[in-house]
Amino acid sequence: MTGAFIAFFSLLAVAFAALVMTVRQPMRGALALCGHMVSLAAIYAALGAHVVAIFQVLVYVGAVMVFMVYTIMFLDDRDPSCRQLFSRLALPALAAALVVAGAFRWLFGELPAGAPAAAPVDIFTFSAFSLAFMKQYWFHFELATVLLLVGVVAAWAAVREGRDG
Amino acid sequence: MIQDLVVYLLFMGYAIGFMLGLATLFTWVERKQSAVMADRIGANRCYLRLPFTNVRFVAWGLFHGIADGAKMLLKENFTPKTYDRLCYNLAPWLAAVPVLLVFAVVPFGGTLAPGRLLPQLHPFFGERSYAMQVAHMDAGILVVLSFSGIGILGTMLAGWSSNNKFSLLGAARAASQMISYEVAMGLALISLVATYGTLDLGAMVRWQSGTLFGVLPAWGIFTQPLALLLFLTAAIAENKRVPFDLPECESELVSGYFTEYTAMKMGLFMLSEFIEIVVVSALLVTMFLGGYNLPFLTDGGFVLPTGSVWHLSHPAVVLLQVATFLVKVFLAGCFMIQIRWSLPRFRYDQLMAFGWKFLMPLAAVNLVATAGVRWWLT
Repeated sequence: MTGAFIAFFSLLAVAFAALVMTVRQPMRGALALCGHMVSLAAIYAALGAHVVAIFQVLVYVGAVMVFMVYTIMFLDDRDPSCRQLFSRLALPALAAALVVAGAFRWLFGELPAGAPAAAPVDIFTFSAFSLAFMKQYWFHFELATVLLLVGVVAAWAAVREGRDG
Repeated sequence: MIQDLVVYLLFMGYAIGFMLGLATLFTWVERKQSAVMADRIGANRCYLRLPFTNVRFVAWGLFHGIADGAKMLLKENFTPKTYDRLCYNLAPWLAAVPVLLVFAVVPFGGTLAPGRLLPQLHPFFGERSYAMQVAHMDAGILVVLSFSGIGILGTMLAGWSSNNKFSLLGAARAASQMISYEVAMGLALISLVATYGTLDLGAMVRWQSGTLFGVLPAWGIFTQPLALLLFLTAAIAENKRVPFDLPECESELVSGYFTEYTAMKMGLFMLSEFIEIVVVSALLVTMFLGGYNLPFLTDGGFVLPTGSVWHLSHPAVVLLQVATFLVKVFLAGCFMIQIRWSLPRFRYDQLMAFGWKFLMPLAAVNLVATAGVRWWLT
């Protein structure tokens, strides 16, 4: 039952991801991304990681996507570029996607045939998550925030340089 | 397993009936309260007539809700020329469904043992017992915040896809307002989490079934009174009701983000507003007013401050808890509706300043004070 549930939402996640790339209208692309993230959250929930599933919806759909939709809301939707079907890069992108898929196939082909059986699903509770986060991943998290800050400053500097010529 | 399926299907049915029933009742309460405050009679025209007789049941205008529903289902479903028909049709659902989902984590009763409730069910259910909650999750409060965030998407989509300046302005106002007040609400809830030491709404209710200083029920209203005020204010602002109804204010924006909606699509927006009153009232009751318990009531019966215990049978406790929750949610909802007819509307700059410059700092101060008290107590 859980396997069927995960398979269904995996297919849904792939379909929404494909829509994000192929749909030209920005609002529909954003909605497809929301659908993709909700599908991922459903997969996490089925795997017993309720905390990760909740954060997937809370952070990505409830915060990040809300701001993206807020911005798209003020775009001029009558821009002709929103009606073009595909850009000139569609075929190279498709070829690259096939190469990546082939690479994955090659990697999975290298795995031994008798893979170990999956452990029974344990519910990853919020207290377990908090302990793991504070004991094992706290430093990595803080490091990621510093890197993100550096990225924001770099983006700001690049935009400013471009504007000033 | 089949037993679990039966029980959870019943819980889901009860939860949906609870929300839709109370939401319909609140449409009548809103009309009658406004009438009482304006010295009018209020809704009294709808009636049910016994077939082939002239006997009419007016029932204080209670049937107006049914008439409203029938009207919305039967009216012309006018659709404007929009940028995006898919988004236009999707928006009412995105606004209404997340509100319904929030109730899944709210406990509407204590523990239910069907075999003890009705002896005839014992051969089927045995000694199984269930927490009266559709989804038991240890991070219940985060689920509430997650799903309430999705509702903003529906509002924005509605305003954007309507191809109307009033609607777009209403959507921009709604989104800004909902995002702003979510910060204050989140901080208020963190203070509550620090007090109870849990994110699980069921565990919060059980924590509140104790006593403070030996006599006072340990309800959130006594342990976190400021968080209650902050949560209530932020919740009314998130629900876009007076005095925070700037996104749909009739005098400026017609109906704001749902100006271009008619028939049942508009009905979904209206219904989601009333369902949100029910859900916010249920959360308020669960987190601050002892949930489904009366003072000193536990799953075993009444445990009085004097130490004496008044045992109650399992069916009596279950019925008492379900009825208590229903009455508390109804009264909390009536109070929220009362606010609508008591306060004037803010100006938009006042609304944003109130959220960012008053509510949020106050919520932060409350959080720091709570952390200080917790540290001192431990």
